[in-house]
Amino acid sequence: MTSSIVLEFPSSYEWLNLVDLVCCELTCETGNFSKADLNDISISVIEACTNALEHGNMSNPELNVRVVFRRHPDHLEVEVSDFGEGFDFEEFLQNIPDPSDIEHQRGRGIYIMKEMMDSLEFEKLPERGMKVILRKNTNGSRKTGD
Amino acid sequence: MKVRIRESGQVTIVGISGKLMGGADADTFRDLVHQLIESGKKKVLIDLAGVKWVNSTGVGILITGYTTMRRNKGDLKLLNVSNKIQSILYVTKLNLIFECFDDQDEAIASFS
Repeated sequence: MTSSIVLEFPSSYEWLNLVDLVCCELTCETGNFSKADLNDISISVIEACTNALEHGNMSNPELNVRVVFRRHPDHLEVEVSDFGEGFDFEEFLQNIPDPSDIEHQRGRGIYIMKEMMDSLEFEKLPERGMKVILRKNTNGSRKTGD
Repeated sequence: MKVRIRESGQVTIVGISGKLMGGADADTFRDLVHQLIESGKKKVLIDLAGVKWVNSTGVGILITGYTTMRRNKGDLKLLNVSNKIQSILYVTKLNLIFECFDDQDEAIASFS
């Protein structure tokens, strides 16, 4: 059975605390994720939310960020949507900078999400905005070290 | 982000608390690093014990501080790095760039 939780909040960092709390509660409650998985999920969801509010909604507090958590028997799925003009993620995905290059201050967020989660998808929303879908399997398939 | 500065011999310890996530935090940290350099304080230990929130932009802020210090013949190291920050550094391979310490005395001794 799939259970869902939906959070929708204005584009402000202060709400990320709530997102992280829900994230922790959902992942801890199942007992199917390791501590490392929990860190990966938390970091990636916060990363997706900050991308949505900064790059998607351009920090406009009148635009919301919507987060949907779906708990499946074998994985957790998290959708993060913004409702702004967004950015050209297809171009960005083809030109992800080397994350270890210290000359770049920014541009590591998508790389981190790709490495920490089992899958990462982007979808343009019909009118405006973008949806990022993150999935983490419950079988302990962590790709990165502790 | 809140910042608290203290000195231990030649080393300046910058305690950061709250969130480290870009926006105004980037300006605050950049200005702080430049002020430290201008006042000749180039051995800097960033204490992250009080950081509750960090994202890739926050790590980017630390990188800018590191590169600025190194270009000015200084050094910037990290103290009390949480599991989450360690995970980000590991995934991005920035753990090979930053020297990280759990023990303050050991961190201070490493500058000499």
